[in-house]
Amino acid sequence: MISLGSYLILSGIVFSIGLVGVMTSRNVLKVLLSLELLLAASNLSFVAFSKFNGDYAGQLIVFFVILVAAAEVAIGLAIIVVMYRRLSTIQADELRTMKW
Amino acid sequence: MMKEYNMSPYFFYLFAAILIFASLSVVLARNPLYNVLSLVVAIFSLSCLFVLLEAFFVGMVLLLVYAGAVLVFFLFVVMCLNLNTVTLTSAQQSRFRWLGTIVGLMFASSFGLAIKSFIRAQTMEPSSIRGTIEVIGKILFTDYLLPFELTSLLLLIAIFGIVSLAQGALSTGKDVENA
Repeated sequence: MISLGSYLILSGIVFSIGLVGVMTSRNVLKVLLSLELLLAASNLSFVAFSKFNGDYAGQLIVFFVILVAAAEVAIGLAIIVVMYRRLSTIQADELRTMKW
Repeated sequence: MMKEYNMSPYFFYLFAAILIFASLSVVLARNPLYNVLSLVVAIFSLSCLFVLLEAFFVGMVLLLVYAGAVLVFFLFVVMCLNLNTVTLTSAQQSRFRWLGTIVGLMFASSFGLAIKSFIRAQTMEPSSIRGTIEVIGKILFTDYLLPFELTSLLLLIAIFGIVSLAQGALSTGKDVENA
């Protein structure tokens, strides 16, 4: 049987990959995709803890996280589409109007 | 019960390998279409891992909502923006590329140390809970009814936000045409 540690290590690896993606990519679409990876990794550890603790609360939190992530992705993609229409690019460096 | 568990380690390693390679591909692939499609693969293998953990309802919701709706939405946006490879490859690389990688590796190592001490501190055995639709639905509509109803409010606000964003984009588009 797979132990809790294996699931947590897998979750940590996926979270680190997503974190590197968020910090290194200039493409806003790619940043949003890497954010999805972060959410997926934390969902995995929630479900693993739920299984190994014998508590359903972890799975319910994952359910709510999925719902909130769906709303977040919809808003984020709408912002990306508006940004592309205004600036005709989706590079994060082009958003310079709020730069000090 | 134990007999079906015998296959489960191999499936865990299979889906874990698929998940890691797909998430690497999400971050490293240059073409945004490949990024989105490898995230579909990653979500699919994550859903399989949820089923291995006997969280059936959450796994199916993940598959339906993420792979079914959210990532198709992503694909629509990639097609709608019509990002050709010329504009993407001509973009210079981020200055934070190596810094971000180093910070990610540091995070991974500290996470590994934390998990190592956690595993030493306690050994947990898997419980026999099964996250079927019946059980999750019962808890969702009794103990977690208020958060569940508030989620509908959140989705409503999200719809308002998207519509107002789309209207703003349409009006600016008209201004550009008039000018």
